[in-house]
Amino acid sequence: MTSAFGHFTQQPQSNRPAGFRVTGAHLAELYANAARVWGDMPAFATRRQALEWEPTGFRELYNRGCFLATALIDLGVEPRDHVGLLGDNRLEWILADYGVQLCGAADVPRGRDVTDGEIAFIFRHAGIRTAFVETETLQDRLLRLRGKLPELREVILLDPRAKPAEGVRRLSGLIETGRRLRDAGDRRVEERVAQISPDDLFTLIYTSGTTGEPKGVMLTHANMISQLERIPLEVTCTDRVVSILPVWHIFERVFEMLAVSRGCCTFYSSVRTLSDDMRNIEPTFMGSAPRLWESIHQKILKRVKEAHPVRRGLFHTAYFLSHYYKESVFFLTGRSLDLKGRGRIRTAVLGIIHAVRWALLLPWYGFFNAAVLEKLRLVVGGAFKGSVSGGGALPREVDQFFNYLGIPVLEGYGLTETSPVIAVRTPSKLVIGTVGPVIPDTEIRIVSLDTEKILYPDRSRDDLGRGLKGEILVRGPQIMKGYYRNSEATKAALAEGWLRTGDIGIITFNDCLKIVGRCKETIVLSSGENLEPAPIEMRLNQSALIDQCMVVGQDRKYPGVLIVPSLEGFSELGISMNHRSELNGRKEVRQRIAAEIRQRISHKEGFKVHERLHAFGLLPEPFTTDEELTTLFKLKRHVVTEKYRAEIDAMYHRAEAER
Amino acid sequence: MEINQQLLNPVEQGLLAIMILIIMFGMGATLTPKDFRSALERPRGMLIGFLSQFGLMPLIAFSLAVLLQLPPALAIALILIGCLPGGTTSNMFAYFARGSVALSISMTAASTLLALVMMPILLDLYASGFADRIDADLRAAGDDVGFVMPYTNIILSLLLVLVPVAGGMILLRVSPDWAKTAEDTAGFMAIVVILFLLGSVLIRHSNLFLITPWQIYLGSLCVGLIGFLFGYGMSSLTRLPPRYKRSVSLETGIQNGPIAFAIILLSFREPLQSQMLWLAILYSSFIVITSSFVTLFYRRIGKGDWEIHRNNLVHKRLFGEDYHTRYPEAAVGKVDQR
Repeated sequence: MTSAFGHFTQQPQSNRPAGFRVTGAHLAELYANAARVWGDMPAFATRRQALEWEPTGFRELYNRGCFLATALIDLGVEPRDHVGLLGDNRLEWILADYGVQLCGAADVPRGRDVTDGEIAFIFRHAGIRTAFVETETLQDRLLRLRGKLPELREVILLDPRAKPAEGVRRLSGLIETGRRLRDAGDRRVEERVAQISPDDLFTLIYTSGTTGEPKGVMLTHANMISQLERIPLEVTCTDRVVSILPVWHIFERVFEMLAVSRGCCTFYSSVRTLSDDMRNIEPTFMGSAPRLWESIHQKILKRVKEAHPVRRGLFHTAYFLSHYYKESVFFLTGRSLDLKGRGRIRTAVLGIIHAVRWALLLPWYGFFNAAVLEKLRLVVGGAFKGSVSGGGALPREVDQFFNYLGIPVLEGYGLTETSPVIAVRTPSKLVIGTVGPVIPDTEIRIVSLDTEKILYPDRSRDDLGRGLKGEILVRGPQIMKGYYRNSEATKAALAEGWLRTGDIGIITFNDCLKIVGRCKETIVLSSGENLEPAPIEMRLNQSALIDQCMVVGQDRKYPGVLIVPSLEGFSELGISMNHRSELNGRKEVRQRIAAEIRQRISHKEGFKVHERLHAFGLLPEPFTTDEELTTLFKLKRHVVTEKYRAEIDAMYHRAEAER
Repeated sequence: MEINQQLLNPVEQGLLAIMILIIMFGMGATLTPKDFRSALERPRGMLIGFLSQFGLMPLIAFSLAVLLQLPPALAIALILIGCLPGGTTSNMFAYFARGSVALSISMTAASTLLALVMMPILLDLYASGFADRIDADLRAAGDDVGFVMPYTNIILSLLLVLVPVAGGMILLRVSPDWAKTAEDTAGFMAIVVILFLLGSVLIRHSNLFLITPWQIYLGSLCVGLIGFLFGYGMSSLTRLPPRYKRSVSLETGIQNGPIAFAIILLSFREPLQSQMLWLAILYSSFIVITSSFVTLFYRRIGKGDWEIHRNNLVHKRLFGEDYHTRYPEAAVGKVDQR
């Protein structure tokens, strides 16, 4: 099961209703309605040059989708067929999706980084007979695997500039064929659309997950439509969304569907051109990995450090004021984290203190907000209402920074299995440290990790069991139909409509969900004590000297950590090396890292004694998405443990010798 | 209301002069020659802006002075404020009010230059009656010199404050980075100067707050507020796009306070000087507060048309100049889509 995806952001807005939206019983109907309502407004934009983009309107997209669907039906794609879709974000991808939905089939998407083994497994498991491939490379790889895929009949190439191999069709050719058929009166698309039931699959997503064989998550039209109608993000037809995360992942996909529903334009960017594109597009929303937010945070701090002393002073004053001002505002509006249930008297006293502080800071905050913070906010593009960050929790420091700066970060939580949103912060429930309240029509249970007892909601308690920690179970219209042809896994995850998330959470006293860690990630020390690696890693990753790290220690006396040191960080200290292996040999480097660990994972920072890291090893290579990370930058812990087994043993030996 | 002692002592006057210098320098650091030229490219907005700034605003000030029966010295001060060109703070407020910053800057630039001609004419039109009354009062009290409106000095003071503005413009050309620092410093100084003046008065003339009659408070408060209202009304009547309306409105109500201080210090002598300064201080303090509220209000009502405008700008930039985006009314409501 894939895990938490992260963080929505949105600016608290005027009282305008949450926004006009287009909807439908299923995606095919949504697409048709969007074409009718939004007409020639730009739906998706493709980059030609920095300042030259090609828009495609909603009506145009829908028409071409119908042509493609007609051609697909003609090729023999049946209703409810599974159609492979290998590739990354681009107009042709969404066009292929339109075609698949409009002929009543479901797509099985994966990105360019899919491995041959995965292709073979997924295509056989899903019984794929027709597949889209984005690039020539993917086409060639798929054709080489053809011997193992007896069911595969048709391959369609998306990239208009790529050269199709023999027997491979071009997307543009199919659209032409479809156009001719429709012009001649072919109305099979309408017949197909009429047959679609909301309970049919619109996609079958194979999650690589962090462990084991891929599982096919069956998501229905009703799942997706329920999300589009309930996600409380104020995206409107005057917004601009940048697409950068892999679209085959449900998290980016729901954003693109949301864009279709709300009528805003999605711009396809790439990692290489992102910072240029941000300036030119001035996006108002985007989905991103936490890494982007961390790097923007670093960039702002760096810019401040290099600024003229007067301006640096102004920034520090502004941030100081804004921090305490916003903290008071958050408290007074019931948006401060409350895990224990504050007493009335305590709340009243704190309330008075915060009210006084608020009133005292208001005029100063007003000026500095206008004069200093507004300019800083331009770093994320002048129009940013915020971002949605996927792949894990934002470090608290970064989270606070943006919220206090005036870029409200609305963190959310969900899984592929929940298509994906379970909970998300809303402007009125923007509680830092939580993922916000659960979205409408969705129920949550917190279940004891040991006894399976329902801790929340527990009607026998006055507080219903708020503040208690356990595994999160969820039920609602967004829950998947099951894992495709894997009843065992389905049974393990789904019971009576309740999905086990595998995540540990707490319901706070202001009814928000707080994610604490993963059940499966929990490291059990030989002493029997449990520890969550994620918070420790998050804290270490904040260091400029550390690029990446992973905490280990299952069945050991104490936890240790594998560290990928930062070349850049050390070069700023005057230790410039071309490669980490040279760096790791330096005694000074080891000392610095050791000091960094001691200082960050300390009692003062809120870490317990058994969480202190007594062993560490330096790695010569960073973790990459090819091997140790999922496409959303989540650690595949078993892969790392396997790969660096020798290093882990060595580091514990070293630590023992030193003790 | 009598101010027996000089409102600001020589040291404070010197400090004030330095602050004015910094503020005007910072104002220059935001301006390029292009801003003056591009004023001509927005003829309709500029014309309406000109009419509100030099047509409406002095008339509002005059009417208030008459209606509230202000003493002649304070009446002259109020009219002087009414005739001033726009200040740089209006550009900042226009930005946050989702107005057209370009129009605001152009109006500031143009009105600063035009003030050289317009201010003497307008003062002659509206303030000469009050000047005659002062002259008569002084002579009756045995003063031989009497009072004549110091037109030459006013023009010279205006020219003098334009020197640091020009200096700032040169700095922007030489080093944009330092110009930015100058701009920030000036923005900060604009607040400091008001606090400094209020503080000086509070420390040495604390009873002044109590003995000032309500008419003076009301006049210095209302001149800006009515300016906002009429500026908006005028640009609505002439059917300017919404973001232009907000700019014209703010530009009309927000005057260049530092120039008022400079003119009063350099052109008027006691006992007029202190009284006039006091009114200018009150105006500058009130206008910061009122324009903050007006800005928040404009920001709120302007959200719809502003987001459309901004989206259109990006679409034109990326999809080509002739790309037109039309929004269904069902989604955006009845909004001026220009």
